[in-house]
Amino acid sequence: MPLSDPSKLTNAELVARLRTNLAEREQFERERAGMLSELRDMKAALDEHSIVAITNAAGKITYVNDKFCAISQYSREELIGQDHRIINSRHHPKAFFQELWGTIVQGRVWHGEIRNRAKDGSLYWVDTTIFPRLNESGQPVHYVAIRTDITQRKTDEAELEQFARDLEEKNKELETIVYTVSHDLRSPLVNVQGFSKQLNRACEKIQAAAAGARDGLVPAADLKQPVEVAIPQALRFINAGVNRMEMLLAGLLRYSRLGRVALTIRPLDMDALLAEIVTAMSFQLGEAKAEVRVDPLPGCLGDSVQTNQVFSNLIDNALKYRDPARPLRLTVSGRIEAGQAVYVVADNGIGIAPEHQGKAFEIFHRLNPEAGAGEGLGLTIAQRVLERQRGRIWVESREGEGSTFFVSLPSGET
Amino acid sequence: MKNAPIILIVEDDEGHAILIRQNLEAAGLSNRMEHFRDGQAVLDFFFPKAGAAARARGEVYLVLLDIRMPKVDGIEVLRRLKADAELRTMPVIMLTTTDDVREVERCHQLGCSVYIQKPVDYDRFAEAIRRLGLFVTLLLVPPLKGG
Repeated sequence: MPLSDPSKLTNAELVARLRTNLAEREQFERERAGMLSELRDMKAALDEHSIVAITNAAGKITYVNDKFCAISQYSREELIGQDHRIINSRHHPKAFFQELWGTIVQGRVWHGEIRNRAKDGSLYWVDTTIFPRLNESGQPVHYVAIRTDITQRKTDEAELEQFARDLEEKNKELETIVYTVSHDLRSPLVNVQGFSKQLNRACEKIQAAAAGARDGLVPAADLKQPVEVAIPQALRFINAGVNRMEMLLAGLLRYSRLGRVALTIRPLDMDALLAEIVTAMSFQLGEAKAEVRVDPLPGCLGDSVQTNQVFSNLIDNALKYRDPARPLRLTVSGRIEAGQAVYVVADNGIGIAPEHQGKAFEIFHRLNPEAGAGEGLGLTIAQRVLERQRGRIWVESREGEGSTFFVSLPSGET
Repeated sequence: MKNAPIILIVEDDEGHAILIRQNLEAAGLSNRMEHFRDGQAVLDFFFPKAGAAARARGEVYLVLLDIRMPKVDGIEVLRRLKADAELRTMPVIMLTTTDDVREVERCHQLGCSVYIQKPVDYDRFAEAIRRLGLFVTLLLVPPLKGG
């Protein structure tokens, strides 16, 4: 309808126009009511599904829904007017929230996972979207934060990671066992079979000598080689091979059982633990005229039996690989480094050449087989035991000067 | 045979070394043989520290190399030998207990001449060594130029 001066309209025309206006108005009202109801439903749906909060531009909470109150355990009254620091768990570094704010003040949507702390101190994870509402000049006027509780998912993820780690450890163990069986266990078998054949040959020689003997007299010269050389040598290697196999099997079992022993992780008094070890080994240490110094040590989290085993092995190694040219000096010290307790066991023994250090932790590997009894399992076991306790072991050494072993375990301090 | 190679048996297991030697001799080899107890010992022989007596000029060597040994293993010895411009032509025979495919492959990649598994079955072991003896007599081995 063309616009024209209403005073020039006839009554009929005016009525018609009013009627139209009214109809349009009614239509608009209906649409508005429909939209409002739709919006209410949307909000109800959102509230049903999500944890919702709205803050002003300064980050002060102006609105929270029931789910927010439920998960945070704070009442609406406690939350309104606060900022989100009230539920900060201190899990995330400062930079995390700086990045969040840096994003939303520029009017961009932020998305991420946040770990929060409820009123009773319990922690929960929320998948979070923060949507900035902007005014006409593009400045955020308030922020709508929509969150979903993902605590269960996070727990599952952590569990899955643990499973993966356990599986990796199992695989490593299996690989080690296969490697050992194919290398080390076969090696004595070659001797047992090879020298058994030598025994056979020696027997054949003796039998031949006996068969050829006249008047029942076997010439001593024919027996000399088999009886004095071949048989004793063969028996020596066969016995050594059998003993070696027995030791390897026992070692393998010991190594594999380590993975099944349940650990009891608790705070350890390392001063007491080391004192106990030094007392237990005082006879050997005294015999070697060793000078032992144990500094005050920081505590850590670990399994006392297994940790005792690690340090016993280290001190035992220091004794075994001491330099005969000088009395053994052994020091144990410790420090806290980035949440880890690091223990240092230093000796003045024969040391390990740099090119041999990598193999020191290999199963059944012995750097100096001549240095006395041992199955080549001590450091392998120490490493295994520590890995299970989220610790680590490594070595620094100079040949002819001594070795320093480092053991790290979680300090338990946050 | 002129310039018969000196056979270096690098083997930490004394029993294996004896068996290998006996079998090579039984196969008719009269080469001089020397025994090294680990990888480091043979490396010291080929890469002597200043002043030490070592490999002789003009001699011909063949190395029988075990893999799993204390200090320096056979793979590392093989790597070092093959990285040396002069020593790389020297035949190296890996003689070891494992039939691990990855390890066999690795040795071939590094350039070992032959890979022989020490069989647990003595007859097979003797046969392998005998063939090796045969192989050694056929092998044309260049003499080392320098010492």
